[in-house]
Amino acid sequence: MDKNTDMPIYAVDEKSGAQGGPVNQGSPEPETTAAAKPTRTLWSDAWGRLRKNKLAMIGAIWIIFIVIVALTCDLWAPQWLGSPTQIDSSQMSELSKLPPSAEHPFGTDALGRDVLCRVIYGSRISLSVGILATAISTVIGLVMGALAAYYGGIWDTIIMRLADIFLAFPYTLFVIVLIAVLGQSITNVFIAIGLLGWPSIARVFRSAILSVKENDYVDAARAMGASDARIVIRHIFPNSVASIVVYATMNIGGAILTESALSYLGMGVTPPTPSWGIMIEDGQTYLATQPWLMLFPGLAIITTVLAFTLLGDGLRDALDVKMKDA
Amino acid sequence: MVKYIIKRVLQFIPVFLGVTIILFVVKTVVPGDPIKLIAGDKALTPEVELQLRAANDMIETDDNGAIIYDDEGNTIATPIWKQYIHYMSGLLHGDLGTSYTRKQAVTDIFAQKYPYTIKLAIVAIIIEAVVGIGAGMVSAIKRYSFWDVLVTLITSLLVAMPAFWLGMLLQLFFGVWMKDWTGGAFYLPISGASGEFQDWVYYILPAVTLAAVSTAYAARIMRSQLLEVMNQDYIRTAKAKGLSRHDVIVHHALKNALIPVVTYIGIDFGGMLSGAILTETVFNWPGVGYEIYRAITQRDWPIVMGGVTLVVIVVLVINLIVDISYAFLDPRIRFGAPKDQA
Repeated sequence: MDKNTDMPIYAVDEKSGAQGGPVNQGSPEPETTAAAKPTRTLWSDAWGRLRKNKLAMIGAIWIIFIVIVALTCDLWAPQWLGSPTQIDSSQMSELSKLPPSAEHPFGTDALGRDVLCRVIYGSRISLSVGILATAISTVIGLVMGALAAYYGGIWDTIIMRLADIFLAFPYTLFVIVLIAVLGQSITNVFIAIGLLGWPSIARVFRSAILSVKENDYVDAARAMGASDARIVIRHIFPNSVASIVVYATMNIGGAILTESALSYLGMGVTPPTPSWGIMIEDGQTYLATQPWLMLFPGLAIITTVLAFTLLGDGLRDALDVKMKDA
Repeated sequence: MVKYIIKRVLQFIPVFLGVTIILFVVKTVVPGDPIKLIAGDKALTPEVELQLRAANDMIETDDNGAIIYDDEGNTIATPIWKQYIHYMSGLLHGDLGTSYTRKQAVTDIFAQKYPYTIKLAIVAIIIEAVVGIGAGMVSAIKRYSFWDVLVTLITSLLVAMPAFWLGMLLQLFFGVWMKDWTGGAFYLPISGASGEFQDWVYYILPAVTLAAVSTAYAARIMRSQLLEVMNQDYIRTAKAKGLSRHDVIVHHALKNALIPVVTYIGIDFGGMLSGAILTETVFNWPGVGYEIYRAITQRDWPIVMGGVTLVVIVVLVINLIVDISYAFLDPRIRFGAPKDQA
């Protein structure tokens, strides 16, 4: 951080302090200078840069598309393609394993259900696991990283050793063992993936805090009597939020991959709920004769994970986050 | 240097203890009575059940193994901390218990399974090192060329791809669509089961599948490292004194750029030795990962616990070796400068 950004902060705080209010009432944001110029925040700057990044925009558009599909599919998918879960036993023999056609763009599976419809509904599982599991790991990671970096010393040692212990387990194996212990359900998939993702986020946030903590304005805030929690929330968090956003975006893709692996191994959501991993597992049996059964859900996974990676890369460049150790 | 190694070895101990504690906690909260799992469908007489409980350190026994009863004639449950000590002492004596389903010592089971995992990991790591470093170098040296774009594209796709799906895709391509050319050798190879082809044929697809994602990462790291090193002052000096581009890259840039890549590949080797559940499941590969997965589905906890413990030890030891050799390779650490990693 250069001195120029620090100076107005001092000025504003001193002024409001002099006006007689309690010291910590002074806003750390230089509102006065921002009002004088057209508003150019970190985020508007970043959006300007992100918009020019074609790959990141393709990723973002694909993500928005999938989110809309996942949210609205109840309204149109069943009318068009039939139920994603129910099996019509009277017509099963005619509908079973049909190749892709105009009526069934992705073909039908062994039980006569439309593959496109199941891929569409599968996006719900993938997106919700990706987002919720990442949210869980991010919250745990933030708290752990903040404790480790801000208090340092023994806290740092304990938390970072704990992170080492978690990272020493082979990831997929540990998730599976955890699910086996917790019991197989979609909630436990969120919990297991979320619980095991925190160490890397804690490391990223810890190093972000360590670099922000050195700034003069943090010392200034402390000198004015701000509490630890206030310093972390008002000063350190806004300055490290960029790296968290980038990391979380990329993490969603990883969580989606893990969910598909769990479902493939039969440890994730239970059939007949459509999940891309389960569909691939079902399709493996018919690999030689009906390859579309495993091809389409696989393509859905790749495009979605790739979209999150591209968006994450774009955000990283736009927000100018230096990723280490990620 | 010696100080660094000692420090690193000492760090290993709390991590290892932490891992065993977590595993132990996981084992004790597992739902279901282990004795019922051991018995399976067989009905147990009360005497046999008691003996089994004593043999599995679930109730207190005296030094001769006789069951201790309290004043009312009931057995005494062994406290958790004592069970942990039993588990640890077994571990240190190389005893990981007996499988419920296979009725075999867990150590014997893994002694049979580990060679498959190790062989597969060695083939995969060779692929990763050769292809990853090669592709990364081409990509960096011919920056922004067709090859660079191709490598970037392929690595992005591989990283976004589930490994098990890639395995199936390879089977589909080589085993089904190219059947006339390959003779079907690549379709669902169950290692050496048919004996129709030479052994090494069965390693190709699983090894490629196992190596794919890591190869992509290795290529990316190689590319960014080489580009970063090429920007440094000593490279400019080497160029300025008139060395050819080839000499600059081979004699000056490569050495430094390779350190992080080799470190990554080393750590990855540890990961591969820990048994690739997904790859081994897709290809029915009789290795460690598949065995642990099978044990999880059958609630065979001694194999799960023993297997995960073994695997974690392997990972930790390999990471330790990698860290120490990293210190040997990188003079900045050898001479005591802090390692600049978060």
